Amino acid sequence: MRHLAACILLTLLLVGCAAPADPDKAQESIQVIAMDTAMLITTYGERSSAAAYAAEDVIRDLEKQLSRTKEDSVVSQLNAAGRRMLVEGDLIPLLSSSGWFYELTSGAFDITVAPVVSAWGFTTDSFQVPSQEELHELLKLVDGSEVSVTPAYDDGEGTKATVRLGPGQSIDLGAIAKGYAANKVLEVFREYGLPRAKAELGGNVLVLGDRPDETPWRVGIQDPKRPDDPNGFIGVLELTDSFAVTSGGYQRYFEENGKRYHHIIDPSTGYPADSGLTSVTVVADCEMENGTMCDALSTALFIMGEEKALDFWRSGGVPDSNFELVLVTEDGRVLITEGLADRFVRDESSGYSYETIS
Amino acid sequence: MRPFPKLRPTVWDTLVVLCVAVLAVGLAFFQWRGGQSQGLTAVVSIDGTEAERFAPGELLEQPRTYTNNGYTLEVACGVWGEVSPWNHVSSGGEQGVCVVVSDCPTQDCVHTGTITRSGQSIVCLPARIIIRLEGGVTDPDAVDAVLG
Repeated sequence: MRHLAACILLTLLLVGCAAPADPDKAQESIQVIAMDTAMLITTYGERSSAAAYAAEDVIRDLEKQLSRTKEDSVVSQLNAAGRRMLVEGDLIPLLSSSGWFYELTSGAFDITVAPVVSAWGFTTDSFQVPSQEELHELLKLVDGSEVSVTPAYDDGEGTKATVRLGPGQSIDLGAIAKGYAANKVLEVFREYGLPRAKAELGGNVLVLGDRPDETPWRVGIQDPKRPDDPNGFIGVLELTDSFAVTSGGYQRYFEENGKRYHHIIDPSTGYPADSGLTSVTVVADCEMENGTMCDALSTALFIMGEEKALDFWRSGGVPDSNFELVLVTEDGRVLITEGLADRFVRDESSGYSYETIS
Repeated sequence: MRPFPKLRPTVWDTLVVLCVAVLAVGLAFFQWRGGQSQGLTAVVSIDGTEAERFAPGELLEQPRTYTNNGYTLEVACGVWGEVSPWNHVSSGGEQGVCVVVSDCPTQDCVHTGTITRSGQSIVCLPARIIIRLEGGVTDPDAVDAVLG
């Protein structure tokens, strides 16, 4: 009996001495379908599960407020109300940011392009090519400078502000909302003290810290020529503590009479942007608000085209913020701005030529 | 003072040592195996809730069908780069999971082709179904996330 007891005790001792699971490597992965896209949140650390589900809650809450396709969302109510409405919550900072990027990009980023996007059927997946006359009339409603937000105030029940739209205008936050969501998810990750995490929100990626093997996260940029190939990349970004967003005409499109029409509408023409770029990737550090910036700029710079986009980057287009770019052109070039060059692994077999931009 | 008796190992002592050693090695092996990947697992989520997980090889015996939000997807074992394998896997090529037929309007899930590596997903937004591969051998060169 003594021998048996000794055996059990020794075994327990050995099990107790066995290397414990590293709490920093405890992992939770959840998949979320929200904001018209599939999202994947992967968190690490002792509080990984709680953090992942808190991040999902944040995204669901944002979707309720910002969706243009849900009738009871704040955005839908604002669009239905027309000219003026008292709003609260996340819509206030988002509209302020939208106005800011409208000005910075000289109108390339414009949330009032909503009725034109609807006319093409991208909101409902009922695709069609609108007539020139219809677009001409709708373009009269596209003017981001007519959207205004009064200074926010707190009435004890939350932050509120009055939003005004121009006559007949409506807004679509699809080109900025996921970036804003990435900001909020980062807040959650930090609140829960996660050592590392990543969030893939459609074309928006947020990486916190480094990988469990202590190397940078490897983030592939899809090759626009091979959108359906899960292994088709123009290169891989090696990132830590970063936001990265890609916009491309290959992501959502339809074809009619042999011609392809993609979903990134140029607010100045009403047609899908035809700028010579097939994708734009914007990368920035995990500073607060940079998720919003990356999202808004990826759309705007895609519309602006290579020359204007690079001028915008060279001139430090966003005051007090730094960002880097990877542009893919229709003629088979990949342009990487110099701040990103040592973090970009080229795929020399992709058939593209690569240039570092300074 | 009475002297201590001479202590000599008995057969029982040897047995105890052997038992402890075997148990320790067994537990260490169990723990080590637990930290390693056990091969790829396909995880199917419907409306954000995990519905099923299975080894992709099981699709060789029988394709699986998922219906949600008014759309139906037929999922089968495929070979990377090959089109519509429909439960037939040729020799050679990386095997994985693909959606061979879907009645969804976008057909993005079908166009994704065959996913073969951990972390890759097939997404059908109209049906609100995601099929994701997890586990397997960790490749340090594999991408952790995709932009685009």
